[in-house]
Amino acid sequence: MRISIILRYVGTVMLCVSAFMAVSAGISYMNNVDSGFYPLLLSALLTFTLGAFPLLFVPRAQSISNKEGFAIVVGSWILASVVGMFPYLIWGGEFTLVNAWFESVSGYTATGATILNDIEYLPQGLLFYRTSTNWLGGVGVVMFALVILPSLGTSKMSLSNVELSSLAKDNYRYRTQIIVRILLVVYVGLTVITTIALKVAGMRWFDAVNHAMSACATAGFSTKNTSIAFYDNPVVELILAAAMFISSLHFGLIYATFLRKGNNIFRSEVVRTYIAIVVVATLLITISIYDANIYTDIWQALRYAYFQVVSLITSTGYATADTNMWTPFAIVVLIFVSIVCACAGSTSGGMKVDRLLIFCKILMARIRRQQHPNAIIRIRVDGVAQDADLLNNVVVFIVTYMALILLATFTNTLFGQDMLTAFTSTVACLGNVGPGFGEVGSMSNFADIPAILKIQDSILMLMGRLEIFGFIQLLFLKWWR
Amino acid sequence: MKGIRRRVTIGFLSIVALLFASGIISLFELSNLSNDTEAILAASRRNMETAKEMLKFAQEHSQAALHVALFDEHSQKDVCRRAMSDLEGKLAMARSEAVDEAGLDSLAFYANQLRVLTDEFVYAPAYPIVKSTEDAVSESIIEDYAASHRGRDWYDGTYKVAYNNLINEIQNFMTHAHSSLAPRAEQLNKNAYRSVAPVFISLVVMIAIVLMFYYFIVVYCVSPIEKINRSLSDFLSYRLPFIVKVDLLDELKELVDGIEKLIGLSKQNRQ
Repeated sequence: MRISIILRYVGTVMLCVSAFMAVSAGISYMNNVDSGFYPLLLSALLTFTLGAFPLLFVPRAQSISNKEGFAIVVGSWILASVVGMFPYLIWGGEFTLVNAWFESVSGYTATGATILNDIEYLPQGLLFYRTSTNWLGGVGVVMFALVILPSLGTSKMSLSNVELSSLAKDNYRYRTQIIVRILLVVYVGLTVITTIALKVAGMRWFDAVNHAMSACATAGFSTKNTSIAFYDNPVVELILAAAMFISSLHFGLIYATFLRKGNNIFRSEVVRTYIAIVVVATLLITISIYDANIYTDIWQALRYAYFQVVSLITSTGYATADTNMWTPFAIVVLIFVSIVCACAGSTSGGMKVDRLLIFCKILMARIRRQQHPNAIIRIRVDGVAQDADLLNNVVVFIVTYMALILLATFTNTLFGQDMLTAFTSTVACLGNVGPGFGEVGSMSNFADIPAILKIQDSILMLMGRLEIFGFIQLLFLKWWR
Repeated sequence: MKGIRRRVTIGFLSIVALLFASGIISLFELSNLSNDTEAILAASRRNMETAKEMLKFAQEHSQAALHVALFDEHSQKDVCRRAMSDLEGKLAMARSEAVDEAGLDSLAFYANQLRVLTDEFVYAPAYPIVKSTEDAVSESIIEDYAASHRGRDWYDGTYKVAYNNLINEIQNFMTHAHSSLAPRAEQLNKNAYRSVAPVFISLVVMIAIVLMFYYFIVVYCVSPIEKINRSLSDFLSYRLPFIVKVDLLDELKELVDGIEKLIGLSKQNRQ
């Protein structure tokens, strides 16, 4: 493995990060040189130097091995999170070393969990920087590196092998270069449209840009302490729900739908399943909270229910209501959607509907095989037969995912957390959702949890973003042949 | 400037530039720290002086009121008025500089109460201190006696209560002034942190950059030179072919090309 080549490509990602820091410093400057200006400027300079240094020495590589590609992706996420701490650390306030690390990881993994008690106290430049980490993280730091990397051919494929989940790659059916273009067109286009729509709905430009960036990244950082509840505006909620929902669909399918290709959203079995889950969960929660007299008007119950379902299933984590006050049934349904989350090939995290669908089909096939022992049963998604390796991977992933949730819940309770907080904070971090329930509910934050658990949660976020095995393999690099 | 020299120069210059930038930002934050410290000390000193002068004026007023009430000294009326006006002047000044004006409301209220009480006693016709009768001596003696007793009662019963309230409020103002400095002290703490943090973080980044610099120099300069040297000595000693299998940068590539040409020329000469 050529360390210098890895450093060169990770360096390119650092340059992207420093560019966003510089833009945020510019916003601070325009806002009467607020207290975020110098921390952001210095961080931009430091990150730029760190990123540019390898480019100065290391020549372009004609090809990158799988192992190197993997190391670049994982290294990029981790190093982006490390340098992402700089503005927070220099600015101070509530950002201790652990808090800054947590906030940075939460930003770049598009989780949206925060340790801040008073978000509105942050200067505008730092608020924008915080959201930009979500935006960068949403599309994947490495996707940005792929666009600006001048080298062509095999190197790109090696990187996207790790970055995109195997399920997503199957569905794209495009070449890697086009995948990058699709991602950017859909992502940037959606962000611009959402920003304009939010402005028209009554948000300030600054808030509109920040919330659009965060919603399209399905991340969930807000510029307000009470998240979207601050606006108490059904139109804003509808626009954000639409943005979150679209961002949680397979980007390749969105692109294909716009180009009116055959393989589009409306024909996808996965998307149909996803929509069915959203509709059923919304209806169940609406009935539950209306029946419990939490809301006296059924339309009001529906308004809050659909937003919370979309917010959690897309792994965004915006809040319009204190879901801790809802019925236990509603909370269980919300925990279920936080575990499943949305479609592969989108910016959302979690286990993915694709896997749930395949898992259900495996179960059905198992039952049918017991009834007809000699039958050859093929498992198909969208009419395409799935190979045994993929089915095996799905089962292994789901088992590992649930095992990790149980393991982290165990550790959380060891440090004195109550059961609901311990379980849901793990689900929220591993699925890159953001808020959980109990002490880490939709209207609270992660400020009061012990430092050791903040570190554990930030590792869970990284694991979730790198689809668990991407992160675990980091520990076994020497074994990789 | 090109090749290795350019890379090394840019490398060192970027390290120097970063150190300079972090130093400048630290200096800027340190100057903020210094300004805030001075502002806090000045505000604290000013508050103490204001409170001290308020106490002095209140005391002057009290003494003048005592003289008017007990000894009927007309000349002390002006002193009384001037002391109250000075006290109110200081109060207005404190208001203009106060971070939290509401904290001075009760002080203003008690100062006003004392002024009204004194005015009512000293100038109101209902309490004539100045006698217009000079006829009956006995009546005058009785009235003087009554007046002096009325003055003492007023001073002990009414004035003293209002005066004590005012003094307590001035003392409260002194402590309140200190507590109102707390947000500024917090800002001071932040500035102190921000003047140290950039240097510390820059230091960590510098260490990373220096390590990277060392690594790249070894990989792209030292190691190829060693390989060129080894290959050249193999050629000179054992006539093994001169082959260097490394990624070479500019001048080193030129050096290898030059050596290969030289070897080629020497082979041609030998033939």
